[in-house]
Amino acid sequence: MDFELTKEQKEIQKAAREFADKELTPELGREYDKKEEFPHELHKKAAKLGFIGCHFEESYGGQGLGILENFLILEEFCRADSTLGTALLVSTFGSDIIVMFGNDEQKQKYLPKVASGEWIASGAITEPAHGSDITSMDTTAKLDGDKYVINGGKTLISNATIADFAFVLCQTKPDAGRRGQSVLLVDNGTEGFDQTKIHGKMGIRASPSGEYSFSNVRVPKGNLVGVENMGFYHTLEFLDIGRAAVAMQAVGMAQGAFDLALKYAKERTQFGRPISDFQATQHKLADAATQIEAARLFAYKTAWYLDQGRIMPKMTCMAKNFATRMAVKVIDDCLQIFGGYGYIAEYNIERFYRDIRVTDLYEGTTEIQKNMIFRFLTK
Amino acid sequence: MAEHRRGDLRDITHEMLSKGRELAEKNGASLTALLLGHDIKGFASKLTDQANEVWVVDDLRLKNFNAEAYQRILSSLITEYKPLLTLIGHTAFGVDLAPRLAIELGIPLTTDCLDIDFEGGVLSVIRQMYGGKVNAEALLKEAESYIVTIRPAAFEAKEGEPLGGEIVDVASSLKEDVKNKKFIEYVEPSVGDVDVTAAEIIIAIGRGIKDKDNITLVQELADALGGVLACSRPIVDKEWLPKDRQVGTSGKTVKPKLYIAMGISGAFQHVAGMKSSDLVFVVNKDAKAPFFSVADYGVINDMFKIVPALKNKIYEIKTIT
Amino acid sequence: MNIIVCVKHVPETAEADIKIDSEEKSIELSGLVFDINEWDNYALEEAVLLKEKHGGTVTAITVGSEDSESTLRKCLARGSDKAIRLTDKRFEESDSYAIAKILHSVIKNLPFDLILTGVQADDVGYAMVGPILAGLLGIPHATMVKKIELSDGASKVNRELEGGLEEVVELKLPALFSIQTGINEPRYVSIMGIRKAMQKEIKVLSLGDLELNKNDVGVAGSWIKIEKIYVPPAEKQTEYIEGSPEEVATKIIEIIKSRGLI
Ligand SMILES: Cc1cc2nc3c(=O)[nH]c(=O)nc-3n(C[C@H](O)[C@H](O)[C@H](O)COP(=O)(O)OP(=O)(O)OC[C@H]3O[C@@H](n4cnc5c(N)ncnc54)[C@H](O)[C@@H]3O)c2cc1C
Ligand SMILES: Cc1cc2nc3c(=O)[nH]c(=O)nc-3n(C[C@H](O)[C@H](O)[C@H](O)COP(=O)(O)OP(=O)(O)OC[C@H]3O[C@@H](n4cnc5c(N)ncnc54)[C@H](O)[C@@H]3O)c2cc1C
Repeated sequence: MDFELTKEQKEIQKAAREFADKELTPELGREYDKKEEFPHELHKKAAKLGFIGCHFEESYGGQGLGILENFLILEEFCRADSTLGTALLVSTFGSDIIVMFGNDEQKQKYLPKVASGEWIASGAITEPAHGSDITSMDTTAKLDGDKYVINGGKTLISNATIADFAFVLCQTKPDAGRRGQSVLLVDNGTEGFDQTKIHGKMGIRASPSGEYSFSNVRVPKGNLVGVENMGFYHTLEFLDIGRAAVAMQAVGMAQGAFDLALKYAKERTQFGRPISDFQATQHKLADAATQIEAARLFAYKTAWYLDQGRIMPKMTCMAKNFATRMAVKVIDDCLQIFGGYGYIAEYNIERFYRDIRVTDLYEGTTEIQKNMIFRFLTK
Repeated sequence: MAEHRRGDLRDITHEMLSKGRELAEKNGASLTALLLGHDIKGFASKLTDQANEVWVVDDLRLKNFNAEAYQRILSSLITEYKPLLTLIGHTAFGVDLAPRLAIELGIPLTTDCLDIDFEGGVLSVIRQMYGGKVNAEALLKEAESYIVTIRPAAFEAKEGEPLGGEIVDVASSLKEDVKNKKFIEYVEPSVGDVDVTAAEIIIAIGRGIKDKDNITLVQELADALGGVLACSRPIVDKEWLPKDRQVGTSGKTVKPKLYIAMGISGAFQHVAGMKSSDLVFVVNKDAKAPFFSVADYGVINDMFKIVPALKNKIYEIKTIT
Repeated sequence: MNIIVCVKHVPETAEADIKIDSEEKSIELSGLVFDINEWDNYALEEAVLLKEKHGGTVTAITVGSEDSESTLRKCLARGSDKAIRLTDKRFEESDSYAIAKILHSVIKNLPFDLILTGVQADDVGYAMVGPILAGLLGIPHATMVKKIELSDGASKVNRELEGGLEEVVELKLPALFSIQTGINEPRYVSIMGIRKAMQKEIKVLSLGDLELNKNDVGVAGSWIKIEKIYVPPAEKQTEYIEGSPEEVATKIIEIIKSRGLI
């Protein structure tokens, strides 16, 4: 057992930290939060330095690094700014299903462009009638000659209005439930494929969300990812990486909020002394630091498993379950340390508070994580 | 070592002579001003009151400062006359000259000093470290001769009793032309739209501004106060503001009635450019920032809290009156 | 074009809370974040830019303990081809003169056309290492350089003088330049750079490997010995304005108004 990061990992962490501190500034975060727009320029800058999709193989435009290295980067990004960090992290969402199940042609077509920052990815699972329960899909795909014809709609999709392509979970075998789903790739601009933006999100507003609608969208048979009718299982394995990433995101955000709160506690004086002199403040910060550290170890461990090629859904569900709940609570405590100022945008902590909440919801709600954990415990 | 450029003696010359005189008197030594250049008699007569002797080396090849040429002359003079102490300005001129001179002669050197003293033949100096957050008292290795470079504006150019020094012409020992280093020309600083040197009110920002986009915030405050925006060097290095807004030794020297510094640590190179301001406010969140020591009023706080509050207050006054 | 860059690993102190240690000879370094000296950062970037334009190699050299490897790694990741670390217990308390001697003992045996250093180090700020090193090597030098143009065997550089004035100087190569901030825009460390740097070795040399003896380095080999450090006394009687931002603003405006400036 070795808990030490390698030299290279430490350098990656440092490089990401330096970039994040200088580029993912709270001012920029506030601006994009307000505008509800994706920070395209920042995204391109980060990609050029190899911070996006670094775990893709080198032959597919990546850096040939592991999931853990990718996590170290996104942890730093989310720590520096919860809004911008999330936007960058989510910019590749969906591409891992290609990494895991795509064929060479698909990898060649999509991955280099995602890693270079030219393209933004998206993954479309959720439907109006199927959120937590994705065992059957209303979006259907029927084979017609050498094309699939897709009809239906998806909602709450990250990057919907800015993505260059989507993976779409479709029902290819009606009435077969989870045994009749397939993952299809749909490029932006394909006829009948339409996107609309969802406005007024509570948080992560620099990561735009939207809806997809498919009306007789024809995509080549070659756009099938993995095996036909195995889409549900592919998606679950894909979500294993996604959930671990959300755990890491939560750790980064909690650390960022913690850093703000610790600094503020030392600066703010009441009753003639810094509020960090009050034990009530000290205990909040001590607990926060402890919990963040525990969640970090959890997230690193899941990354380590994934890098070993071991799919450990129980671990990832536990990591997400623990890290996201922990972060929501820790950031709440951190905001409390700011008193009334914590409620004001200028102090940034309120943005962390809004942004963190989504980690409890997406890629499977916390309740769903717990259901799954229990299932694994009794299996 | 007198310093001049483009027809003017530089302030550091008088500052060093002033300190040199004090040290000479205390140690029963004599003080010599050394002038190198071409056609510099005018400077020499200006220095006779401040030194026991003014030595002039006139050579066309010394017209513009050239560390290589100056070093040759200096090293032969120091070797021949063995002065106890050679003072050189810690300036663009001195930094180019002094270290190499010291190494050629094997004479101990220390640089950028705020104060010098002799104690039992040992030379001790005071200089700063960590951007002025710490002062250090240092001793030089015992030797027969020392070289020290002096921080500009560290000493006041005091007017004492005229010394009536004699002007001594010294033959140039430059035999051949300098080959390795050649002065070509001066390049003037660019001229911009705002002249900070003429401003009565200056709000200056430093690296504490953190992001280019935050500059507007302070610009608005400057506008409201009827002042102009200036800055420390890193802001110019990052190209967030043009060079002519930089205050300091390598920028502009300003003398406004009001100087408000925000997020500037107060490195001497900056402070040297604004020291003569009438009224100085320093806003810095670090209570130990060296800038506070030269401020009339200090505010230990986050500039991003003070700027909006100030702006509101000014708007308030303006709408009332 | 073979370029050597001398770099130093220094603590970042501009915003840090500095404490003087109990012996009053140095500050407490634990808890401070260390990084490449700001001026050296520009020097390194300039070296890499020159290499990219003229070809050749860049070698980064530091005198420092094992911690300073991270600064060398950074140099390698940003385009330096080689890195050398000079380290020895006996190097401790070396001043700029002794450091220049240590650097010289290695550099004199390396092929080079150009040496770049920073104008000064953030921590001690002597601005001496570069020109002393040039003196020891017997090569021309220019300090406070803000622009470099290279041609066959010669160079033209802009030196920054006071008040924003610059002078253009011509020097023969090989030469040493001490680089002033703002000469370029230092790049970020990229993941690609880190990957490449991992394949590069940092060569470590100590006193025994150098043609120097112990009296050339450390306190014995230095000109300057620090006796005591302390917090500088205030030059002015500074009055501190306290209170909420609104209270502070009100007070400031009152003072400015009383001086007839509003
Ligand atoms: C900002 C944002 C971005 C998103 N991005 C994407 C994306 O890119 N791609 C995508 O496909 N989806 C995305 N989603 C959708 C997200 O994955 C779903 O919202 C989530 O899976 C929950 O589905 P639902 O909203 O329909 O809630 P529901 O499933 O309706 O759940 C409502 C509540 O009931 C609980 N519940 C449901 N079933 C059970 C059960 N069996 N046991 C206990 N409790 C249960 C849930 O935990 C929850 O508390 C995003 C969502 C958000 C908010
Ligand atoms: C040859 C030479 C010439 C030079 N010439 C000049 C010159 O002409 N002019 C010049 O300015 N410099 C000059 N310098 C550079 C000088 O040494 C310093 O590096 C520079 O002045 C530092 O700039 P700064 O104070 O803005 O940055 P820093 O030293 O990094 O200080 C930033 C300060 O901002 C404070 N701060 C941060 N955030 C906030 C906040 N939110 N609210 C309040 N305070 C905050 C920090 O506490 C810190 O004190 C020169 C250097 C050399 C070697």
